[in-house]
Amino acid sequence: MNNAFPWRRLCCSALLLTLVFAPLGCKRKSKVRVQQTDEESPRMASTVHMGDPKAETQLVSGFYGIEGNAWRWTQRQFSVVLRPPVGSAAKGATLHVRLTVPDPVIAKLKTVSLFAAISGSTLAPETYTQPGTYTYTRDVAARLLTGESVRVDFGLDKAMPPSGADLRELGLVVLEIGLEPK
Amino acid sequence: MTRAQGAARSAAYWIVPSLVCLLIHWRGFTAWFRADDFAWLGVGIHIQNFGDVLGALFSPQAQGTIRPWSERAFFMAGFSLFGLDALPFRIVIFATEFANLALVASIGNRLAGLRAAGFCAAVFWALNGSLVEPLGWVCVYNQVMCGFFLLLAFHFLLRYIETGRRRYNVCQWITFLLGFGALELNVVYPALAAGYTLLCARKYFRRTLPLSAVSIVYVFAHNALAPAQKTGDYAMHFTGAMARTLGKYWTWSVGPTFLFTPLGLPKWMLPAGVAMVSLGLVVFLAAKLRQSGAPRAALFCAAWYAVTIAPVLPLRDHLTEYYVFLPVIGLCWLGGWALAEAWRSGGRARVAATSLAALYAFMMVPEVLAASDWQYRITVRVRNLVEGVARAHELHPNQAILLDGVDTPLFWNGILDRPFRLFGLDHIYLAPGSEQRIDQHPDLGDINEFILPADVTAKALERDELEVYDARGPRLRNITQAYAAMPHDTKLPLRVDAASPLASYLLGPEWYPSDGDHRWMPKRATLRMAAPASVGQKLYLRGYCPEEQLRNGPVTVTVMVNGSNLPPAAIHPGERTFELSFPLPDPVAGSPELQVTVEVSRTFRPATDPRDLGLAFGVFEVR
Repeated sequence: MNNAFPWRRLCCSALLLTLVFAPLGCKRKSKVRVQQTDEESPRMASTVHMGDPKAETQLVSGFYGIEGNAWRWTQRQFSVVLRPPVGSAAKGATLHVRLTVPDPVIAKLKTVSLFAAISGSTLAPETYTQPGTYTYTRDVAARLLTGESVRVDFGLDKAMPPSGADLRELGLVVLEIGLEPK
Repeated sequence: MTRAQGAARSAAYWIVPSLVCLLIHWRGFTAWFRADDFAWLGVGIHIQNFGDVLGALFSPQAQGTIRPWSERAFFMAGFSLFGLDALPFRIVIFATEFANLALVASIGNRLAGLRAAGFCAAVFWALNGSLVEPLGWVCVYNQVMCGFFLLLAFHFLLRYIETGRRRYNVCQWITFLLGFGALELNVVYPALAAGYTLLCARKYFRRTLPLSAVSIVYVFAHNALAPAQKTGDYAMHFTGAMARTLGKYWTWSVGPTFLFTPLGLPKWMLPAGVAMVSLGLVVFLAAKLRQSGAPRAALFCAAWYAVTIAPVLPLRDHLTEYYVFLPVIGLCWLGGWALAEAWRSGGRARVAATSLAALYAFMMVPEVLAASDWQYRITVRVRNLVEGVARAHELHPNQAILLDGVDTPLFWNGILDRPFRLFGLDHIYLAPGSEQRIDQHPDLGDINEFILPADVTAKALERDELEVYDARGPRLRNITQAYAAMPHDTKLPLRVDAASPLASYLLGPEWYPSDGDHRWMPKRATLRMAAPASVGQKLYLRGYCPEEQLRNGPVTVTVMVNGSNLPPAAIHPGERTFELSFPLPDPVAGSPELQVTVEVSRTFRPATDPRDLGLAFGVFEVR
């Protein structure tokens, strides 16, 4: 029949494929290939840049994903872990947070206050009444910086609740958080 | 036409649909493994004797399915020959699908009596959105293989009818019987054969009836071995919901799956497109049925769709995109026939049919490309993770591995089904707090089973028993030093995985060393864990009790908590994996810790092991 199914060709092709690929199985010794890993174990950073995906391990909670390769929205409460700078256990350090208070936050909330806490010690809050870019800076006592790492908890007095436009609770936009030696 | 031209046309006829398929589903061809694939790849890793082989091939698994060829043998043979190299699996999958496309073309040609109809049908099927998972996800090979058996058996039936030769009938029977090893859906074949002969070759109708007897026996035997589920996603609902389910599957058959398109079209466009293609098919079918001495094969094409979709319609709560993979073949035959005939007749019919075919391709192709790309990308992430962990283990063979930064897709596709055990790694954990980054799906699994408690993590880091890797990027990044410097919770855990060497510090000295994925206790053993914060909690014990231990009747398990005996529980013969729960007395709530003592009524000593064994654990959990 003119339209007959090409059995013979199909069987020959299958046999050929089997012969071609069978050696692949015979040669394999390991069940899995390995892929290189990055073994250069990084030290914990004293300053965390929000645009750096590698810094995410130091963001404990309260941060959303990176936006614009540079910043992250926060929730009402957020925390990071930082490495105290060299000598800070004796002299103390300065905590700085580079942040932006976006227009919609002020439009909706009028004012927003940021405070920080380290090991139970609360640092003085700062209140923002205008949209713009700010740096929140506070001295941190040496006695709070004696360990290998320090957890810094931040809080806002209020945040934008989830809405139809954005289902996230939104606090501030943060670009960088760090401890600098004195 | 010269002989060479004829040969070239003939070759193109058989090859072009396969090339279209390969082109459209190229991402699927180059994808790796994910999710359930790892469960099936591991189906043979504990085989020690012939009995184990039979068990692995034929025992009901995953919702009571028994698919020895398409799942068990396919994965067992593939993994033993090629390990975690996906290419050979893909070659088999695509080769089977190419055979299916050739069969679709051949059968379409015979049904319509038009060579072009078969060709168009095969191309339409290659473009359909339901092919994405069967071709891009290895564990859905059962659909492709089932299609092969159904189509091949039907091809032999057609040849039997054409020639009257008995050998084709025998081939049909053999293919039909083998099809049960691919997918349960094979039971519908007798209805397809009976339907076709009733409509188009009545003389052969009675000869197809014995096929039904086999399907009936299969259904009873299968239900006896693996009873149908009464609850959950796979429960069957013979209600009006079946019509809604059919409506949804219809839209996924003639339009893109989930009515999704990456093109950002207005919302009305896809439903309108689906309606137009549907209308085209219905008009063609009606026209065929009105013709005097009409070729009722057109009705058979519709019947193919109805018969093959029918078994999944009662699965109201488990709509799956690839369930239309085989039914849609019937519509492709009908559509291919319509296009070929309209093209021949020319004029408005040609314009209308070509426009509908273009509309169908316009709806399907972007969705297929986007869905295949998603499939490919997630498998690449899983491969990076699995192969990265393999490397990490090479570098740190004496340490367990903790993964930080695993997100929702990576967990459900690359962690849940424990791919690492395929190359002998049992001690791969997620960092404490990972549950906050991963969406819960309790029906699929429990994220907590994979998370290393914070206290165990801290202790393991102190003892240099743990390497920590950041899994956020395309390459695993060792962050042990930075992670160890972070503050860690040091409360005792509410969940203790006794099998883990990292939890040894919580276990009493009576325990035997870990055997990888389990740890044996002798007659009596102790451990420490966190006490519940509130009253009304229970202590759960999960583990394994071999048949040998249960040979002399039930084993009684007694638990003592902070000096108080809890009501004993028993493990009965047949319950090899157990989960026992013990209500905790109110006074232990808020205690600094729980001192747990477990004792079994007897031990046993296997021929190959000099130890007195009680039970194998397993997990202790307060919740």
